[in-house]
Amino acid sequence: MKKMILDFDSSKCCACGACAIACMDQNDYDPKTGSAPFRTIFETEHADGRPVFTHYSVACMHCSPAPCINACPVGCLRKDPETDLTVYDNTNCIGCHSCAMACPFGAPSFNSAGKMEKCNGCYLRLQYGLTPACVRVCPTGALRMVTEEEYEAAHGSGSIIPEARAIAKDQI
Amino acid sequence: MATYAIIGFGGAGFHALSAIRDADQTGTIHVYSEHADAPYNPMLTTYYASNRLCYEGMFPFGDLDTIRTAYRAEIFSNSRITALDADTRTLTLEDGTKRSYDKILLATGARSFTPPIPIECPEATVSMRTLDDARALKQILEERDLKQAVVIGASMAGIKVAEVLHNNGVHVVLADMAPHIFPLAAYPETAKRIERQLAADGVELRFRSGLSAVRAGSEMAAAVEFSDGTVLPADLVALCIGTRAATELAVNAGIQVNRGIVINEKMETSAPGIYAAGDCCEGCNLQSGQTMIIGLWANAAYQGHTAGANMAGSSSAFRGNILHNITHFFHMDFIGFGDNRITGETVTFENKEKGLYVQAVLQDHRLAGINILGNYRISGILKNHILAVIEHGGHTISEMQRGVLLREGLSEAFLRLLEGGTYGN
Repeated sequence: MKKMILDFDSSKCCACGACAIACMDQNDYDPKTGSAPFRTIFETEHADGRPVFTHYSVACMHCSPAPCINACPVGCLRKDPETDLTVYDNTNCIGCHSCAMACPFGAPSFNSAGKMEKCNGCYLRLQYGLTPACVRVCPTGALRMVTEEEYEAAHGSGSIIPEARAIAKDQI
Repeated sequence: MATYAIIGFGGAGFHALSAIRDADQTGTIHVYSEHADAPYNPMLTTYYASNRLCYEGMFPFGDLDTIRTAYRAEIFSNSRITALDADTRTLTLEDGTKRSYDKILLATGARSFTPPIPIECPEATVSMRTLDDARALKQILEERDLKQAVVIGASMAGIKVAEVLHNNGVHVVLADMAPHIFPLAAYPETAKRIERQLAADGVELRFRSGLSAVRAGSEMAAAVEFSDGTVLPADLVALCIGTRAATELAVNAGIQVNRGIVINEKMETSAPGIYAAGDCCEGCNLQSGQTMIIGLWANAAYQGHTAGANMAGSSSAFRGNILHNITHFFHMDFIGFGDNRITGETVTFENKEKGLYVQAVLQDHRLAGINILGNYRISGILKNHILAVIEHGGHTISEMQRGVLLREGLSEAFLRLLEGGTYGN
């Protein structure tokens, strides 16, 4: 499988939250028991008073290199060697929140057992030829999972990735 | 074919090994370690001692055999290097054997500091830095009936030891010479909030209390004497006073050492061909521009990787870091960014509904430090912001980060303050 990029185009997003619901369903998490959703959905109003809103669905940006991996003291986080998505095995997670302090996007969540969970790009779905749950239900095409080649061919237009990379570049 | 030596095998040593092998497939790599365990983070010791982490879970990179095979390294466990000749890059082992190398990394880490005071009952005293320390505490918790413990050092290590003892039903006295908890990271006002919560949880706090002796006790195993004359009985005394960089080899070799071994952006020491990384060294503190020990797991990883890459002929640099800490204890999160000695305008924000408190210090409207209580999720974004402010001056938090901060309970007005503005702008 090729290196994959989970991309987002804010100009197509209407903050409907369908992606968050699909993600909750896919990952069996329940906010009532203390789990925090992997996706944060919000809209921003321009400060200059223009009646323009920007809508966002923010989760793990699958940085490369990913600062959370170096931060984890027990090695829960790693890069999937096939897709380059940032995945995890939280068996040994001690709930120290060091990954959260390393993440410039606020992606890591912690479940009711105190163990880290986050978007893993649905890498197991990808292995079975499926699209990520959030991408599958996005009604406007704001979320998409593309190969690195497909991403590069689009020259970054309508993509959050250039901004995310600029933010993550200096994170340590 | 190049030969490399790595002295010390913690996080920095491991990442150096990985980087050397990435860049040089054929070189010989010798790793020397004073213990027989695979690399581990010293902050995991309390988790192991309290059975919150299994033994295998201590080793994020696998056991020594796995590492030896994966990186084709010769690992010499329980091997102490007694001397380093910086001119000839020759190491002397404890048995007198001498070995020469093309490139050497000093990744000797740091050791618990034991104060030069009378300690009459070492069997009732623990430190918390190494796996042996963790094994000792684990055994004590399993075998002894502890009623009261005194933890000396209201540090990140001290609070974790206090937590373990408290969770085991032990009455804990947490004492420090400093005026408040986390004296190297917390602002006094934030510290007060933490102290109130700890006191409510039943932890007894004693600040401005210098330790003068640990005597053999009559009532309990130990009698802890403080400089103000107070004597406290204790079944166990935990010394969590701090660490000291292990710099003896470097000092004796004539390499420049302050509190730690001084390095540049390439992790080079003052001696050609000799590098240093991890808790034994001083890299750049981006906030002050001076070299300083910033003993953090991730920092050691970046330094170790950079050192390894450069040793193997690549050109790599790691610019430095800022002081930062996160500790999760007693169901609280404390996070600190920046040097807490820097003073200026203090701004605070509280969201009682979310249990969130943030204190920041601005110097000439420029963010110089942040304390966060009660929210981990905002910490990485605010770290990203303060790094940008320190390194690049003015900085505006991006919309995609801002939305998360607002969702977690911060206010737009407070974010503008952190960006160097004022309320109402």
